[in-house]
Amino acid sequence: MSIPKFTYLAPKTLKEALIMRASHGSKSSIMAGGTDLLIKMGLRTLQPEFVIGLNSVPEIDYITLRPGGELAIGPMAKLSAVVEDAEVEKNFPALSEAASVTATVQIRNMGTLIGNICNASPSADNATPLMIYDTKVVIIRSDGERVVPIEEFFKGPGKSVLETGELVKEFLIPIPEKSTGSNYQKVSTRSKVDIAGICVSALLTLNNDGTVSKARIALGAVAPKPIRVVKAEKILTGKTPTKELFNDAAKIAREEASPISDMRASAEYRKAMVEVLTRRALDASLAAATKKKN
Amino acid sequence: MPKVNVKLKVNGDPYEVAVNPSGTLVEVLREDLHLTGTKIGCQTGDCGACTVLVNGKSVCSCLTLAVEAQEKEIITIEGVGLSYDKLHPIQEAFINEGAIQCGYCTPGMVLSAKHLLDKNPNPSELQIRQALSGNLCRCTGYARIVKAIEVAGEKMKNPVKEK
Amino acid sequence: MSAIKGKNNLIGASIPRIDSPAKVTGKALYAGDIILPGMLHGKILKSTKAHAKILNIDISRALALPGVKDVIVGKDTPCIKFGNWRLFPNTQDELPLAVDKVRYIGDEIAAVAAIDPDIAEEALSLIKVEYEELPAVFSIEDALAAGAPLIHDENKELKSNISLDRKIDVGDIESAFKTADYIREDTFVVHPHSHAYMEPCATLAETDSEGRVTIYTSTQTPYIVQCLLASTLGIPENHVRVMKPAVGGGFGGKMELRKWEFCAAFMSRRTGRPVRFVLSRQEELESGRRRHGMNLKSKVGFKKDGTLVAKDFEAYLNGGAYNSMGPTATFLCGNFGAMLYRYPIYHYRGYHVYTNLPPAGAMRGFGAPQAMFISESQMNMAAIDLGIDAIDLRIKNAMVTGDKIEGVTTISSAGFVESLEKVASETKWKEKKKNLPKNKGIGIGCYSFISGGVFNWFNTQYNFSACEVRAYDDGTAHLLTMSCDIGQGSDTVLRQILAADLGLAVNMIRLTAGDTAMTPKGDLGTWGSRVTLMNGNAILDASKKIKEQLAKMVSIKFNLNVIHDVAFGDGKVFAKANPKYGMTFGEAVTLWVKANRGEELIARGVYTPRDKGLTTPAYSFGAQVAEVDVDPDTGVVTVEKITTAHDCGTVINPLGVEGQLEGAIQMGIGYTLSEQFAMKNGKTLNTTFLDYKVPSAEDMPQIVSYKVDTYEKEGPFGAKEAGEGLAIPTAPAISDAVFQATGYRCKDLPITPEKILRSKGKI
Repeated sequence: MSIPKFTYLAPKTLKEALIMRASHGSKSSIMAGGTDLLIKMGLRTLQPEFVIGLNSVPEIDYITLRPGGELAIGPMAKLSAVVEDAEVEKNFPALSEAASVTATVQIRNMGTLIGNICNASPSADNATPLMIYDTKVVIIRSDGERVVPIEEFFKGPGKSVLETGELVKEFLIPIPEKSTGSNYQKVSTRSKVDIAGICVSALLTLNNDGTVSKARIALGAVAPKPIRVVKAEKILTGKTPTKELFNDAAKIAREEASPISDMRASAEYRKAMVEVLTRRALDASLAAATKKKN
Repeated sequence: MPKVNVKLKVNGDPYEVAVNPSGTLVEVLREDLHLTGTKIGCQTGDCGACTVLVNGKSVCSCLTLAVEAQEKEIITIEGVGLSYDKLHPIQEAFINEGAIQCGYCTPGMVLSAKHLLDKNPNPSELQIRQALSGNLCRCTGYARIVKAIEVAGEKMKNPVKEK
Repeated sequence: MSAIKGKNNLIGASIPRIDSPAKVTGKALYAGDIILPGMLHGKILKSTKAHAKILNIDISRALALPGVKDVIVGKDTPCIKFGNWRLFPNTQDELPLAVDKVRYIGDEIAAVAAIDPDIAEEALSLIKVEYEELPAVFSIEDALAAGAPLIHDENKELKSNISLDRKIDVGDIESAFKTADYIREDTFVVHPHSHAYMEPCATLAETDSEGRVTIYTSTQTPYIVQCLLASTLGIPENHVRVMKPAVGGGFGGKMELRKWEFCAAFMSRRTGRPVRFVLSRQEELESGRRRHGMNLKSKVGFKKDGTLVAKDFEAYLNGGAYNSMGPTATFLCGNFGAMLYRYPIYHYRGYHVYTNLPPAGAMRGFGAPQAMFISESQMNMAAIDLGIDAIDLRIKNAMVTGDKIEGVTTISSAGFVESLEKVASETKWKEKKKNLPKNKGIGIGCYSFISGGVFNWFNTQYNFSACEVRAYDDGTAHLLTMSCDIGQGSDTVLRQILAADLGLAVNMIRLTAGDTAMTPKGDLGTWGSRVTLMNGNAILDASKKIKEQLAKMVSIKFNLNVIHDVAFGDGKVFAKANPKYGMTFGEAVTLWVKANRGEELIARGVYTPRDKGLTTPAYSFGAQVAEVDVDPDTGVVTVEKITTAHDCGTVINPLGVEGQLEGAIQMGIGYTLSEQFAMKNGKTLNTTFLDYKVPSAEDMPQIVSYKVDTYEKEGPFGAKEAGEGLAIPTAPAISDAVFQATGYRCKDLPITPEKILRSKGKI
């Protein structure tokens, strides 16, 4: 299973990468960590003639807190860096957890968070946490930039809003309000290090009176792309959390899911798990938020 | 597609090889440098038999392009112990604790263990198991590998002078 | 043997494996690591159709590709069929490359040798095969349905897709069931399972100027490869030299002649250059051998007090497209169905069925994991219905030393009852079972396994096991054997056995293993847990001859009674009564050489299990208790603890045995909970380790084990089978524990979260 031959291009800046991308179009692929791209090439599901390696671009491997309260993550920031980053752990525990169970130690040392998202796999571990934190995707092209909310980034399996002449420059994640709790849940056949059978992320921000001021629920691997469950978020907002309320939200999440049956799990099982994991993620989020509020 | 010249630093030694841009690090290590201690078990990054350290971090050399390994410090199993008389504590522990059966996963396991212990000399059993999540073994059930890493960690903390 | 017993400390010593320094430094060479000058790289073109006639194969474009040195199709070969069951040539149903027809997705059609692997792969894509598709069958039911296509229609003796059957009839089954107070009949389905050895198969072949072939190959049976390779090439056996380098696990998956071995040898003869094949994991998982999936039916009768009265057992094996080792699995499944308990009356019907799936073959346990999954599950179900504790019910019926199954086997030693008692006490079985917390379960499964087979299906003219021992004047010895270390540790254990018997240190023994040109003919290799017992006995046979010669020298010099007075130990040969009278081993050899006109002191040792019934000279036994936690909402099973007590006779190397046990548990957990092939129309969909889920370090439970003390008189120093059989009990033990935790009784492996939740009506 050797990798089909290609020409390797080593841009020195993101701009240069964009120019290469523009001139080679769909014959080219952008490579960050390469852990996903090279497997696809080895299995012959992708055969680009040109590979544009971001490895040679300096100063794009960063995770940094920007003035104004946003965490910025660069395109070459590895998943292991996300796991080890103290700010991520403190402010975005669901992302920290999801990154820590993405693939294996070696793959986390190689693969990047942005690369994981750009593959737009319906089961990408890190998509749902990024969605609950209202992540902004900063996209550049040769003539400028645009910012897309992450839930609008995915179009379908392997498809995103990225056009051929575009690259993700960075993720910007606003630091949540103080009384916020969030959580990531996953179920799979073999321990944690496994392609996500089904995963759910939730976030709750509480008002002083204990009512929910903001709710987020995102589901992975149960639709053609990772999805937000806005309907369930709405019924939570403004209410005082109760077991029944969470059950209702979880049931809505189940209904909103439209999974397929494949060799990893059946559609029925996936739907049932959405309900279970949503409830668990909400419970854990509430507990974390309550702790922070007090 | 023309080959490109790549300068690699493997186990401290400089090498210059002409490689296909699509050539992976494991192919170059094994076929060009004849460092066959690094094994190929799956080529999809799932089994860890091809694990090497690049700048101190464990990676799958089957998913690393040789052209991207330029200018980096690469350590393979051949660079862990200098000779049969001068084994690394991890290697000694693997032998003495019975952590090796068919041995095909062993080089990758040793490098994953080194990656862990270099960062964290006091890992818990759970941390060891998590650190091995990317290294599959079909013979040992991992029990003795985990034990060997515990023993090696102790020894690396308290090195005993040679008798 | 009494002269040796108790006199050395090598038997029972946890000596680290002899090969571990080479393996831990990356210096051990596996077949795919060997590089020869001028070496070509081979690749095989495989069928994309499950069942089809081959109308035409056009290799012209592949041959024209620069860098391609050879392309072969079936018609280029001598077209000689092969298979391991040489005793019944009619079962030898495989050709080195398909000629008229392909029978599964993955059936080998053509091979290419080129100057690099990329060119070889490109050449494969240039070969055009024209097929005429035939109807295909994948399930046992479809293969046996009226009007099903005959997969081996070339074999005119076959009237259906049943390639072979086996019957065992012990006693009158109908009248026996009439005496039963309680009868249960169950139908089970067990799934295929991949060996998933970590080293994908590799072979390197070279040919000398006289056309003799040397192949370095990842195999567990060099002699079998030598014989079948010679016959398919149409050359004398002695013109084929098979060398076994380090092998990265086998588990039964590397015990036949494989197509790439033939192609490497054949193309190296044609090109005059070395040819190497290295398989990818995708190839291994897509079309590699696997454990047989089976449809099983078992009817078993008890008296009210739990005494077994009869068992009627039926097995249909999904063999895939070729016989492979299926006939043995069909036989052994029947033998293992009769094991563990005293069934006074036992009937077995086994059928090996061809389908258009990748062929199943030998795999760790060889028919036993399937047979014992149903029989152990039935014991657990019957215990509940009879109101008897599951361990008590087993103890009541357990086989003991001296038991016989008429016409099948004799149990020469058994520590089964002791094993059951040990796990019961160590796990506090009864107490724990009564006070199970919610979602927790505890369950039991047991096993027995053979120490090598007796039945001569390979039809070898030679002894089953053989070795040569050479003693040298420098105080060392050289052991030559065809027994293969494929990871299980025999290179260490066999040296321990010889060293112990000759009274030498282990590092004074040089070992040459698995080289058909150097090591004595007539060892069938490594499978069926045969090496320690069979090759160990052959070694003791050779060692005895060496010792007799050396004892003569010492007795003459010191005026000792050669039969009674001479002992071996600490590198010396000496008078038992007074060790002062003696000499070093090397000095004794020197004397012998001088007394024998300068000849070398060499002895051959052999072992063949004659008059040992139909199955095996000795059985291991054991009991295993699994403790699990089941998440009631997700159905995910976590195995928390596995406790095993087992009887493997004398343990030669405890470190090795414990390692085998732990590895067996991992394989058993995978078999039970996470590993299964996803198949669609004969195609294997999960061809990576991402989706074929071998348990990782994080999936493993706490493991506790106890050794029951037994002595097997048929085995060297009292040793018998250890390691292979331990892959059997984990599935029934976990299944029973899952039942205790959830009420879900698995009759259809593997146990998945979905099946558990479905049984609870939760999905």
